[in-house]
Amino acid sequence: MWSIDSTRRQSLVAALGAVALVLAGCTGGTGGSTTSSSQKTVVGRPVTGGTVAYAETPGAIPNWIWPFSSLAYFSVYNISNLQQPMYRPLYWFGGHNEQPTIDDGLSVAKPPVYASDGRSVQVTLKPWKWSNGEPVNADDVLFWMHMVKAEKDNWAGTSPGAFPDNITKVTKTSEQSVKFTLDAKYSNNWFTYNELSQITPMPMAWDITHTGAAAGSGGCTKDQSQCAAVYKFLVAQAKDQKSYATSKIWGVVDGPWRLGGYSSSGNYTLVPNKAYSGSPKPQLDEVKFLPFTNDSAEFNVLKAGGTIDLGYIPPQDLPQKQAGAALPATNPAGAGYYLSPYYSWSFNYFVPNFNNPDLGPAFRQLYVRQALALTLDQPLGVEKAQRGYGYPNFGPVPVRPASKWLSPAAKQGTPYPFDPAKAKALLTGHGWTDQAGVMTCTRPGSAANQCGPGVQQGTQLSIKYDYASGTQSLDQEMQQYKSDAAKAGIELNLKQAPFNSVIGEAVPCKPSQAACGWQIANWGGGWLYAPDYLPTGEALFATGAGSNSGNYSDPTMDRLIKATLQQNGTGPLYAFEDYAAKQLPVIYQLNTYVINANSTHVGGVVFNPLGTLNAEYWYRTK
Amino acid sequence: MTAFLLRRTVQAVVVLLLVSLIVFVLLHLLPGGAARAVLGPKATPAQLAHFNAENGLDKPLPQQFLIWLDHLVHGDLGYSYRLNQSVSSLIAEKLPKTIVLNLLALVFAVAIAVPIGVAQAVRRNGLFDYAATFVGFVFYSTPIFFLSLMLVLWFSLNLGWFPAQAPQGATVAEILSEPAGLVLPVASLVLLDVALFSRYMRSATLDNLVQDYVRTAYAKGAGERRVLYRHVLRNSLIPMVTILGLVLPGLLAGSLVTEQVFNYPGMGLLFYQEAVTNDYPVLLGITLVVGAATVIGNLLADIGYVLLDPRVRYA
Repeated sequence: MWSIDSTRRQSLVAALGAVALVLAGCTGGTGGSTTSSSQKTVVGRPVTGGTVAYAETPGAIPNWIWPFSSLAYFSVYNISNLQQPMYRPLYWFGGHNEQPTIDDGLSVAKPPVYASDGRSVQVTLKPWKWSNGEPVNADDVLFWMHMVKAEKDNWAGTSPGAFPDNITKVTKTSEQSVKFTLDAKYSNNWFTYNELSQITPMPMAWDITHTGAAAGSGGCTKDQSQCAAVYKFLVAQAKDQKSYATSKIWGVVDGPWRLGGYSSSGNYTLVPNKAYSGSPKPQLDEVKFLPFTNDSAEFNVLKAGGTIDLGYIPPQDLPQKQAGAALPATNPAGAGYYLSPYYSWSFNYFVPNFNNPDLGPAFRQLYVRQALALTLDQPLGVEKAQRGYGYPNFGPVPVRPASKWLSPAAKQGTPYPFDPAKAKALLTGHGWTDQAGVMTCTRPGSAANQCGPGVQQGTQLSIKYDYASGTQSLDQEMQQYKSDAAKAGIELNLKQAPFNSVIGEAVPCKPSQAACGWQIANWGGGWLYAPDYLPTGEALFATGAGSNSGNYSDPTMDRLIKATLQQNGTGPLYAFEDYAAKQLPVIYQLNTYVINANSTHVGGVVFNPLGTLNAEYWYRTK
Repeated sequence: MTAFLLRRTVQAVVVLLLVSLIVFVLLHLLPGGAARAVLGPKATPAQLAHFNAENGLDKPLPQQFLIWLDHLVHGDLGYSYRLNQSVSSLIAEKLPKTIVLNLLALVFAVAIAVPIGVAQAVRRNGLFDYAATFVGFVFYSTPIFFLSLMLVLWFSLNLGWFPAQAPQGATVAEILSEPAGLVLPVASLVLLDVALFSRYMRSATLDNLVQDYVRTAYAKGAGERRVLYRHVLRNSLIPMVTILGLVLPGLLAGSLVTEQVFNYPGMGLLFYQEAVTNDYPVLLGITLVVGAATVIGNLLADIGYVLLDPRVRYA
């Protein structure tokens, strides 16, 4: 449930539109003249030691060290860039590859063993040790589970009716094993990817209520009712950013890295944890994280050379990309870098409000949503607004990187390719008439050739469409969409509003509420699957789900989602995603991707779509 | 003078209270709300409600303002919703960086602009005057983001003389230990300020050069240097004092564009980023600091008049 990295980068760029544009004109021109290759080339022979400098995303400065937080601090930069290199989650998702899948080798625990009835699961931890010599064992899992049960409101991943409520009991079965008893039968994959994925073992050194107390004296590991005081103490420690690098609490790590230095300004370093039990061990002496005010500043420093080893090219500094290629033909970063595309495990969409008193009944008609999808020219948006650095999106399972979760049907492409004429025909075939350029319902009723249940005679497809301001490319896409939708008689009354306003209005509501006045909301992003790594739709599309902003409700969808939660295999997931692609509970829109610039003297770099940093694989070359 | 200062201090407190109240109300009128902005589009209604309760945002607005005031008088500016830091520690972290950059720029700008303005006035309608006017207008009409980017492009990326980013140290000492990194950001501000200040200085000097007291001084046998530096300069600086008083809030508020371009996170960037996420405590805290600086700046300007112009007296 992290925010989308690429979207944030784009938003920031766009907010600084003028600066960005000028940079595009200035440094982009310089970059465009280079003939450096974009292709991956690491030169020299590997050496042990050295430092790699990593450019942080602008405005994304890690500031929460404890791997237990509310949504306010639940972000890629806190989790992947700060917490997980030091405190390993029970299961590691996003290994040294480009797949959004579990990596058993990097996980603290052995693969979970599910009971045949699917109502319990046994987790056995590997014989790892914390840096203070404590074993990583069942108690550490119990500690985290008790904490999340006691502080549900303060855990970002709490899902009403699901995690952690659906785990009825957690039992220590041996020093290294824990048994989770569940309230119902769950799919092995779903439970591993979406619930076990949230757990991070915590050392006994943290189960205390004051500095210097004996490890485990806080009592949270043994008794959930004792967790409040421990929580209060650990929150106070997590708020003391000045002490992060020197803290005896946060200095107890089980991952390959520990903090070498930390500043709340965003400058911090990771250095090897010599006591790391897992493999591979870090090869570098240090990973240095560098903060940037915006991506133009990052690009200036990147181009100046010598400071950044792993950075990225801001979208406005990229040349138009040729169709079919993932990378630009020329390399704006210069000869010292090679480029690589980064796809996040996400999908983008905008939301129609099914409960809007005026147009909700129309949005509930599948043919209306189809018309909205058929008039959205995603390939054109990719080519023009995104200058090639994007891809069309047509379902809840991310299209890129291609994964085992993408159904055979989804691999064939969108069920609704751009076709305004077909959209118009759909509307006229259902009782809508073009009146002064706007489709108007003239045949109300529930028959196949009528507007559909609840749609009143005279209803016009004149839609209030609010979208996030500040992103030039999104603005361009929306203007194109307005023009194309008009060809089918759909009038989009575009209104730009700050990102906060758009997400602020797009909340579940009832038709009688004043807050239900919004009709379509597009904040320019979508959903990033983490730590709910399996792309099932229970949080988004299930009736009454917390993040079901548009109030979508469909019994078939609910049934298919339930099946993904309870049945094993990819079949139920394929059925859900194929149905969601055709049903359009939201209108899918294009995704963008980031072009990373990596030093040709740093090897072993693979950025996983889940955003994990596997810096222990990185090495320098000479 | 004491009575004047006391009266102005009381006025300042009232002004700051009113400014805080207006900003507080305006912030809460922003659509979207803090909870959604901080927690993001994935936050569930339960999580939004918990955030609001935890931060007192579920209370009536007047009560929220009174609570904020109560904390304020106890020296507590609040806690950022997003940055995991108290507002006072954030300001303590960013303010020195901002002051270093802007103060350096101000000192250099005044040091350059005053002689240029005086020289322009003395040699008015001459080649130097025309040249300085032309250059001044060019810089004054150049948007600072463009000027900053050109400086980076020429002096960093093309020539490699200076770093593309400002010093990244956390303390003033660390920042000052990298003077090369300060050259371009300071220069971008100086070039703009010199253009502004020198125009004021030229105009004020021209006004004074035709005053009776100047003729009298010459009549009494004073030399040109003495007239210029002893009499004209002092009187010509009075409008500059007004300008400097108005500039003071800017010293604290930061320079958003310069901070952005030169990767120098100060007060300007902090305010901008937290405005984007409706981080009310940070926005109120910065508003208060900048408001106080405005009031103090004006007060210092008034005191400056007294020092520079014996005719001015405050009862």
